[in-house]
Amino acid sequence: MLILQRKTGESLLIGEDVEISVLAVEAGRVRLAIEAPKSVSILRSELKNAMAANWEAAEAPPLALLDILQRGGEQELKE
Amino acid sequence: MLLQTKYFGQVECSREEALCFPRGLFGFEEEKEFYLLPFEGSGGSLLCFQSAATPQLAFVAMDPFSLRHDYHPALPAEELRELGAEKIEELCFYTLCVMRQPVAESTVNLRCPVVINPRTRRALQVILESGVYEMHHRLSEFGNKGGEGPC
Repeated sequence: MLILQRKTGESLLIGEDVEISVLAVEAGRVRLAIEAPKSVSILRSELKNAMAANWEAAEAPPLALLDILQRGGEQELKE
Repeated sequence: MLLQTKYFGQVECSREEALCFPRGLFGFEEEKEFYLLPFEGSGGSLLCFQSAATPQLAFVAMDPFSLRHDYHPALPAEELRELGAEKIEELCFYTLCVMRQPVAESTVNLRCPVVINPRTRRALQVILESGVYEMHHRLSEFGNKGGEGPC
């Protein structure tokens, strides 16, 4: 992993056509500007994790649980 | 109208009960309409978000306040505005579950609750800023006693 320091107003390049600039640093937050081709997907990592968590939640529950769910027994679920 | 559901077969629903998710859910951005259906016998604490468009898409959900009495989600002003609410007290919160066997291994996502304005029936899934809540809390970390949520 590469770790480097940048000041406000400085930037760095990733590959040929991705540029990340530091716009501001205040109260523990960094404001970044990213220039990249449209084909490059840019996601906050927590958003990616949130998507993965939802995909997992959308999977069918184990059959044994499904049966309990459909009978609607929360007590059984909590046991 | 008749709604095809993942867990309940065909269910009679009124269009007015539909919840509008203008941004969908994370990873399901095209799903704009869900129905919140309780699992019978759960006393309303175990529910399901059923997609209106995709019968096989449904999420098991719980009341986060019944799991953790001290659950205190905070929303930025723009999210309140998007939901048409002035105060967070106007809103209902639900947490999505990943069901596992054994059940204690099931997890809930307290970091990304689904927030509903019951007045406008608009809904939004958010990512809470707070570092307190995780996307996978095991059910076994909560006690068995349920509390009453604000809704």
